[in-house]
Amino acid sequence: MFLLKLFKDARYFQIVFQCIFLGYGIYFLHWHNENWLYTTYFIICLVTQGIAEWFFGKKDIPFLKRFKSGIPSVLISAFGLSLLLKTNEVGVAIFAAAVTIASKYILRINGKHVFNPSALGIVVALLLTGKAWISPGQWGSGAVILFGVMSLGFIVTTRVQKLDVSLAFLGTFTVLIFIRQIIYLGWPMDHFIQSISTGSLLIFSFFMITDPKTIPNHTVVRIIWSAAIAAAAFYLTAFKFMNGAPIFVLVLAQPLVPILDKFFKAKNFEWGSSKTYTPEEKNFLQIIYSRSIM
Amino acid sequence: MKKKLLFIGGLIVISPLLFSFCGFYVSKADGTLKNKTSQVILVRDGNKSVITMYNDFKGDTKDFAMVVPVPVVLRKDDIKVVDQSIFQKLNDYSSPRLVEYWDQNPCYDNETMMDKSVSPQASLNEIVVRGYGNVKKKESVKIEAQYIVGEYDILILSAKESSGLKNWLNENGYKIPANAEEVLDPYIKSNLKFFVVKVNEKEKQKLNNNFLRPIQISFNSPKFMLPIRLGMANADGDQDLIVYAFTRKGRIESTNYRNVDIVSNKNIPLFVQKNFGAFYGNLFTNQWDKENKSVAFLEYAWNVTPINQMKCDPCVGNPPTEQDLVQSGVWWLGNKDWNDYSDVDNEEMDNGSKNVHFTRLHFRYNRKSFAQDLMFQVTPNKQNYQARYIITHPATGDLNCASGKKYLQDLKQRRKKELMELASLTGTNINNWQDEATAKNEEVTNVTVQYATLLPDVKKETENKETMPAGIVLFGVAMLGAAGLMRWKGII
Repeated sequence: MFLLKLFKDARYFQIVFQCIFLGYGIYFLHWHNENWLYTTYFIICLVTQGIAEWFFGKKDIPFLKRFKSGIPSVLISAFGLSLLLKTNEVGVAIFAAAVTIASKYILRINGKHVFNPSALGIVVALLLTGKAWISPGQWGSGAVILFGVMSLGFIVTTRVQKLDVSLAFLGTFTVLIFIRQIIYLGWPMDHFIQSISTGSLLIFSFFMITDPKTIPNHTVVRIIWSAAIAAAAFYLTAFKFMNGAPIFVLVLAQPLVPILDKFFKAKNFEWGSSKTYTPEEKNFLQIIYSRSIM
Repeated sequence: MKKKLLFIGGLIVISPLLFSFCGFYVSKADGTLKNKTSQVILVRDGNKSVITMYNDFKGDTKDFAMVVPVPVVLRKDDIKVVDQSIFQKLNDYSSPRLVEYWDQNPCYDNETMMDKSVSPQASLNEIVVRGYGNVKKKESVKIEAQYIVGEYDILILSAKESSGLKNWLNENGYKIPANAEEVLDPYIKSNLKFFVVKVNEKEKQKLNNNFLRPIQISFNSPKFMLPIRLGMANADGDQDLIVYAFTRKGRIESTNYRNVDIVSNKNIPLFVQKNFGAFYGNLFTNQWDKENKSVAFLEYAWNVTPINQMKCDPCVGNPPTEQDLVQSGVWWLGNKDWNDYSDVDNEEMDNGSKNVHFTRLHFRYNRKSFAQDLMFQVTPNKQNYQARYIITHPATGDLNCASGKKYLQDLKQRRKKELMELASLTGTNINNWQDEATAKNEEVTNVTVQYATLLPDVKKETENKETMPAGIVLFGVAMLGAAGLMRWKGII
């Protein structure tokens, strides 16, 4: 059953990959001192989800069922926080996690939440508490990670057919940095490679900006929107020396999405579990499923 | 830490916290950092930076010259010379430390316990561009400002293109290496200015001393960085850089290199005491290799706000005083009348505006591993950290009582662990420590617990251990192969 779910719902892929990244960080990059932080994020995210679902959820479906179906998204948000937001204080961690999940229930337009939950949680915690920070250098910049995250992220995004957002963002950002560093300033190639191979940038482009609920529905609009975020993030990074610029820009750009959707109509996205498959697709999944448990 | 000490046979009764008083300082080991080491003090709050560069140039001061890229044209008030001793103080205070503990004899309990600290000593060299000649004005290079500060003649240059700047510097005796152009060009296009320093012989003679004082510059810029690339142009091999940073909010960290806490709080063999410098040098090199070189090592982080009482545990040097901090460029402590005691009881110190957080970062860079200049950020991370290694002196006297025998058993196990720790921390073969281990100055008379006796056992155990990972990999491959085969045959 798990494998069938895996093929139907890209969120499971995302959870698996984020789990790999966090594991890599903990075991190879010595993040284990922060295990308490990750635990806090996960517990508080789940608790907030429970509370929010109890008060704001659709009352016609039993609570436990609703709660259960929301868990994958909650885990993704908790992983998002764990991979990006650092703090020394439990209070700040609780606050960030609570804001992350609560925003999904409170800030909604047209049945879509307005902000990517973890991006909003991160920005609010950074700006309001002053006791949290992002560590852009935490991944180091091994090329191995570059390829790893790229390929893994690729799979995730192809599963939800939103690769266009990732590529538009990453492409624009990379090209702009290339123009600035190599063509204009004349730095050698390894200087440029170090700039774009930070794990945080890749995680952002494959796991954060791609959230299908918080991007415009129309394909062309989506690509332009994503490229514009990249351009703004590039400007803030290169000229204003701002850390974590993409996340800030994303949070600022997300309220535009409902407006863009109003002008450019396209089919709303549904997560795999509620998607209906054509008979051929069902057949295909059935075959894969039966082979893989043999 | 506490737990670990208690674990050692439950013999240590005094918590290390009791030894938090500072200044119990015995001796200095020499020669830990085999590479060239430069030192910089960075003070940062908001957009303001104060950078102090150590200068230990030895030789004819006529040969001294230095070029530093800076983001803005500095005013004369922004440039100062400061007391050289400040670097020694900061280094002594924040270096990795060795702590000693004494076991109590379990057969009596009147032994006293003491705690001392030793720090490895860094040899300190500044990267300098040597050579000096007459200053001539050239078209492509503009002299933005020209000052005499202390014993230095200072020029601030801006340039339109790198070859012009390079020629200008070369013609004026600043011997810029051939491959510096690769770096000068991006600096010029990033709109950086060049802070060029040489010694003013007249002013120097007035001072009547034979060293050059550190130069301190301050400026406002959103860029929080240290340009290391120019230094790489004329140096081959690895260079060490120690950054002493002071901020109001918390630790600083590198934003474009990975930050790693240097391994700390490890129990190591007693004999390391004799050569702690070499031990730490080996340890650093080994950790640096393991972490793939492109990293910023954290060696020390503490809240050193002058009113804060506990500044290290234990201290290897005196904590910097308020005056030391002001000397280092911590401007938010400045503007104080030292003879005015009226604010002694003032509560306003508590609002955090006078806080000072000290971070010591250690880089070992080379062209290959460090493609970019060092970029930093101030974080609100207020956690304390220190590189600290522990040796424990065995109990002395008659150990013939029952608990004494038990103690010897525990001691044997502990010492084996210490030897293994030593080998794994420093990445050296345990055989390399043979001489130290067998040196005849053991405090214990019982032969079975002497390091020299334990060494062969440890050697055997480490050899077995080395074959372990290979074994696991082989086993894994075999299992996978078997599973594949069974799958192929349709068994599973």
